[in-house]
Amino acid sequence: MSEKARPLLSLYTLNRPELKAFSSEIRAVLTSDDREGLARTLGLGAELSARVGKGARAVDWFLRAESDPEAAPLFASLRRVAKKRALELSWTSAEPSLEGRLRAFDLLREDARVAGLIDKLLDAERLPWFLVRPGATSGWLDKARREDLAGEMRQLRPSLPKELVAFADAIRDLDGDVVAHDML
Amino acid sequence: MGFFDKAKQLLGLGGSTDGEEADDPSPHATTPGAKGRDRKDRPPLVDQPAGTGQSVEDVLVAREAGDTAEARKILAQIDRGKGLRTVLRAAAALEAGDEDEVKSLLAAVAAEAEGWKLSLQIAGALGDPAAAAPYLARAIAEKAPVWAIAWARAASSDPAEQRGGLVDLLFEDARLARTIAARDFSIPGAVVDVDATPRYAAFVHGRDSIRRFGAATVARLVDRAKGGSR
Repeated sequence: MSEKARPLLSLYTLNRPELKAFSSEIRAVLTSDDREGLARTLGLGAELSARVGKGARAVDWFLRAESDPEAAPLFASLRRVAKKRALELSWTSAEPSLEGRLRAFDLLREDARVAGLIDKLLDAERLPWFLVRPGATSGWLDKARREDLAGEMRQLRPSLPKELVAFADAIRDLDGDVVAHDML
Repeated sequence: MGFFDKAKQLLGLGGSTDGEEADDPSPHATTPGAKGRDRKDRPPLVDQPAGTGQSVEDVLVAREAGDTAEARKILAQIDRGKGLRTVLRAAAALEAGDEDEVKSLLAAVAAEAEGWKLSLQIAGALGDPAAAAPYLARAIAEKAPVWAIAWARAASSDPAEQRGGLVDLLFEDARLARTIAARDFSIPGAVVDVDATPRYAAFVHGRDSIRRFGAATVARLVDRAKGGSR
């Protein structure tokens, strides 16, 4: 029996103003129930455009579970456009064990400040709903907190395992705000 | 004292004390390994006092059957001096024109109406946007959380207001939004989120009970308790 590969955590440079703008656009078309506007914003083809035209309200599509086969491609389109407009892939870990190390490596956990910053970076509740996927690990840090985390991890570098060293380097080399995600 | 009893005591959840355990006459406490219990040692069953085991649901069922007197009787029995039961008891008294009972409960109703929760439950129960507006405004003034306001708006009978509420909910608390979509709107493909369910249940019981009781009467009562004009 083959095991499903564990996802790899990636870091993205976040264009926060652009993400806010995209979020506002989506909110506006859903609030006004502008189906054509929604299809245009998401760059939907004819079939999916027709699909969002159905139902009582456009927002109902995004109140469905992501596992719903009819809604799944709409969620995927939403994330694709959000990613294209506001996120730039900076780094992907080569190690599936990275998340476990971040959440449990004792040197990181013993320092409440470092542990708090990591927990924020891996807290999906802090991301807009359209970037959150069931079962995925995700979160974000603003520039100041990212720099804080990078500085703290640099001091610990000699004692860190290789996957954390690579992560520490990646988060240091990034510019601005950062999003962590393993299923984007 | 067993490990779990000790843990429960530390957590303030009760659990037996050493003294109680030493005095416990039950066979299982003093003879570890004893099989089963001697049924002859069980205390006799006592009749439950009237009203025990009844709930707001029984009140609403009685009212829906047209038996408002029985509903009031149950409310008097189950009222604990605060909470939804007191509010409904006072509302039933108001409806029946029982001024003495209304006056005796008004202070408790006013205390219950502090904060945003009851106002929002009334707004959601009223449905009609114009009627709900003052309660929504009161809840906002009382610093109701955004998700709660959005939820009350989503319960509106006005389609645009309802849609705006659902969108706000989705952006504010997607888990709760999906739970409401599944439970309140039966949107196809929407699934209840287990993490949001306790919050959903805590709010919806009050709102739906008020709706079934008669939201306009509860609103009138709360206005009076808070010194309003109605």
